[in-house]
Amino acid sequence: MSGCNSSHGIRCRGLGVSVAVGVLAAAAASAFGADQQAPPATQTSTGPQAPATQSPGPAPRGAPGAASRPFRPRTLFNSGDPTLALTPPLLGGRAAPPGSAPPNPDPRDFEGVWWLQGYEYLLGPAPGIPPPLKPKYMKLLEERIRAKNRGTPEADTETQCLSHGMPRLMESPYPIEIVQTPERITILHEVAHEVRRIWLNRPHPKHPRITFLGDSVGHWEGDTLVVDTIALDDRPFIDDEGSSHSTKLHLVERYTKIDGGAKLQLIMTVEDPVTLEHPYSYQRIYMWRPDVRPQEYICEENNRNAPVNGITVAK
Amino acid sequence: MSGGSVVRAGLARLGSLRVGILVTALGAGIGAAHAAPPDFSGVWFVVHPPHALTTVEGTTPPLTPDARVIYEQHLAAAARGDRSFDGMTRCLPPGLPRLMLVNEPFEILQHPKVIYFIFQLNRLPRRAYVDEQLPTDPDPLWLGYSVAHWDGDALVIDSTGFNDLTLLDDAGLPHSESLRLTERYELSGDGKHMHALFTIDDPKSYTRPWTVKAEYVKRPGYEIPEEFCMDKLRNKRRAGNP
Repeated sequence: MSGCNSSHGIRCRGLGVSVAVGVLAAAAASAFGADQQAPPATQTSTGPQAPATQSPGPAPRGAPGAASRPFRPRTLFNSGDPTLALTPPLLGGRAAPPGSAPPNPDPRDFEGVWWLQGYEYLLGPAPGIPPPLKPKYMKLLEERIRAKNRGTPEADTETQCLSHGMPRLMESPYPIEIVQTPERITILHEVAHEVRRIWLNRPHPKHPRITFLGDSVGHWEGDTLVVDTIALDDRPFIDDEGSSHSTKLHLVERYTKIDGGAKLQLIMTVEDPVTLEHPYSYQRIYMWRPDVRPQEYICEENNRNAPVNGITVAK
Repeated sequence: MSGGSVVRAGLARLGSLRVGILVTALGAGIGAAHAAPPDFSGVWFVVHPPHALTTVEGTTPPLTPDARVIYEQHLAAAARGDRSFDGMTRCLPPGLPRLMLVNEPFEILQHPKVIYFIFQLNRLPRRAYVDEQLPTDPDPLWLGYSVAHWDGDALVIDSTGFNDLTLLDDAGLPHSESLRLTERYELSGDGKHMHALFTIDDPKSYTRPWTVKAEYVKRPGYEIPEEFCMDKLRNKRRAGNP
């Protein structure tokens, strides 16, 4: 598969919603009709996970997916300002079709393929709510959203075939494959074949090298895998809309298998004393997908969105 | 998987594989019934990264006339300092077997059902599915589609479904979408070295199948650092290099 730069709505894995600037409404409308039986695209950030009703049929690979709730154009701060329109969320992964291998009930065995349910372009404490950015960075986020809505989005790292960074990588609407070895949890992402290595039962190095995906260490608290990540390069954004973070970004991810292993719950805590007013958390769900194999995804093959003066110009 | 199903899988491949490979597949069925396979897990460095591949007999690869024309164009361009024929200069995947022979290490994670290779080079991953059959009509991919089986203590990987946008080596040996690759990996007695044979079967580019050998050394404790090719390329360009 060639590169899929979301900024331009190149169809990626048939996720469907072409978010071409200026046709947001049309895109959302077409996405809206995609799957009325699908579970809600977003989870609330607090409270217990409601049991989702899944589509009875097999999830067609390449079918369009989108939010199933009635479409309400979201804008930053619910301002109604169209220049602050947020990109509508996608459905993302669904439950495995009938006949798929059953989930592994071992609560500490995360191996296999998982697929994020829902896909938010703004990663704040709740859907449609921005991270608690300090005023300077909130203004920057507004500028980035306005630039996107003008059709001249800022070329982010992902657009340049660099890393998605964190926590954004965990929000990718592509399957992920977890491989578990005694000292490590390895996450192989379909998107841009990114690889995360989470080292178990060891501290961060004293002077970690700053990298796109940072230094991740993990340990078990009961049946919850707790992952601590620091030393993150500040070029990627927290989310697709463009919330900034610094190299002081600190992430704590808590992963727990729920529903007998049919789902992997993530509670992500985001802390950044430079760009955020205070830490915040959100919850996401990954679906057990033994029927899916990650595909080849080569961003560099379709690297048409190289920025000119920091702005993406190619179509 | 029972021995019988392996035999059936082997027979099913008869249409597209040479008889020698069929025998290997049948042998794997017998071997797989025995003890657990050796553990190839770890980080591996190729001992002598080749610039231009030669056959195990020490000869130059048996290019077809058409492929020779392409190869000589690549040699001439490289002599002029023009490597634009090589997608690796634009961070495209090297393809196979070249990815196994570049001067950067890779890690093997050995799972009963999948052999994972994770390369330092641009964090590329590769998966070989154990005891499965190759697809009959695969979409062409940069790294193809790979299945693995055990032939006694040897790990054998068969691959197909390659696009023709990659090269076999740095020098510029071409291949077509008809490329079939068979890799055979064996550990040394102490497990610190790995010996590999790569058999290239591409009748459009080569007059007969030919084989390359390579040796790898294990580096315990080496942790593969994060590497993004586009970032390296950008830093190189900033530093004024082409």
